[in-house]
Amino acid sequence: MMQRKWEVAALLAVVLSVSSAYAVAKEGFWDWMFTFQRQKNIKPVIDKKYQDECSECHFAYQPGLLPSKSWEVLLTPEALHKHFGVNAELDNDTLKVIHAYAVANSAEKSWYKRSRKIAVATEEGPAPLRITELRYISLKHRDIPEKMIKGNKGVKSLSFCDKCHTQAAKGIYDTDTVNIPNFPKWDD
Amino acid sequence: MKCRVKYGNAATSICLALLSGMAYADDTATHLDLPTAASVYAKDLQSLESRSFISQTANAKSANSSVYLIAAKDSDALPVQQTITPLVSAPQFEPSWLSGRKAHQYLGLGTVMFAGLTMLAAPGDGESCETNCGTQPPRQTSGTTHTRLARTTAALAVATVATGLIYHWDDIHWEDAFTDPDKMHARLGAAGVLLLLYAVNKSANSSVPTDHAPAAELGAVAMLVAIKLTW
Repeated sequence: MMQRKWEVAALLAVVLSVSSAYAVAKEGFWDWMFTFQRQKNIKPVIDKKYQDECSECHFAYQPGLLPSKSWEVLLTPEALHKHFGVNAELDNDTLKVIHAYAVANSAEKSWYKRSRKIAVATEEGPAPLRITELRYISLKHRDIPEKMIKGNKGVKSLSFCDKCHTQAAKGIYDTDTVNIPNFPKWDD
Repeated sequence: MKCRVKYGNAATSICLALLSGMAYADDTATHLDLPTAASVYAKDLQSLESRSFISQTANAKSANSSVYLIAAKDSDALPVQQTITPLVSAPQFEPSWLSGRKAHQYLGLGTVMFAGLTMLAAPGDGESCETNCGTQPPRQTSGTTHTRLARTTAALAVATVATGLIYHWDDIHWEDAFTDPDKMHARLGAAGVLLLLYAVNKSANSSVPTDHAPAAELGAVAMLVAIKLTW
């Protein structure tokens, strides 16, 4: 009986590994595998320079919200000169640090669930340049009426993640943490 | 025997309560204490006005409105305001400790935990004998700790899938890739429940000992992997 149980346990261990094999080749797999820390959302920004520079103008979007090919396009001196219609040029040293951080923590290099979803969905095709244009993001928000976003003075646009996602700065985008300004019972 | 069952049930309840508490605490308290974007805005409000790139935005009538909204796509989300609205701290939003999504999470964890307890409470060697067993006592298919725990596990598993379908239905899309974490979670979870139900059904309807453990264990592991993929 005992021997059979061990055999079953060994078999199950193999199944466990195979089930997750789609990602085995990537770095950090074992760290992800054997951590109890929740990695359901997006890895929060921990780089002070990235946080400071980006949040001077807008919410410091976590690098895990876009694949690296997007950051490669967005974080060049030319692109920052016209960063969504605004000149957001940075000095070379700062840009280097921010670029390196964004690419190193981009969606496909992260083990956080939402990043993995974004990475899988953007594997093919051109680099998405706007987070709000990601299919995953638009599908997640498709049922929210316009009056709660564009027509809502407290929100105005889907780009302002932190207006409704109360823990967006921590990388938490769970529905349970959403509080739409002026619509406290938005989920009804 | 009754006493053992009572102790078993009590221990199970305590474990479930502890596990739920851990999951809740982990969900709410272990994240990095980063400054909120709003606090950064407030902190750097003065420095914003002196930033060199603001002065380069020739068309911007208001420096603050333009720099706040560079990521906005919609033109109607770019109002020009000459006055700065005073920053009023909004009351802290506290997520509810219990919701449909959290119930799904607790039920999933409970299922795995009960599956483990069921395995531990499995009867000894004699029960698994299938051939040349000699005289065997009548097989008990109900009333034992093992059978009760197994049925509880199966019920929890069904409840987990039901709450998952109800509260996470919009997370699954046909167009998503095969390796999409939510899709894998759903597939493995469903497979796990089916295996657990198969094992319980196989054992409950057999008057002779059956080798139903591998199916049940495989089901439990499938659910465990499903949880890990979206943890």
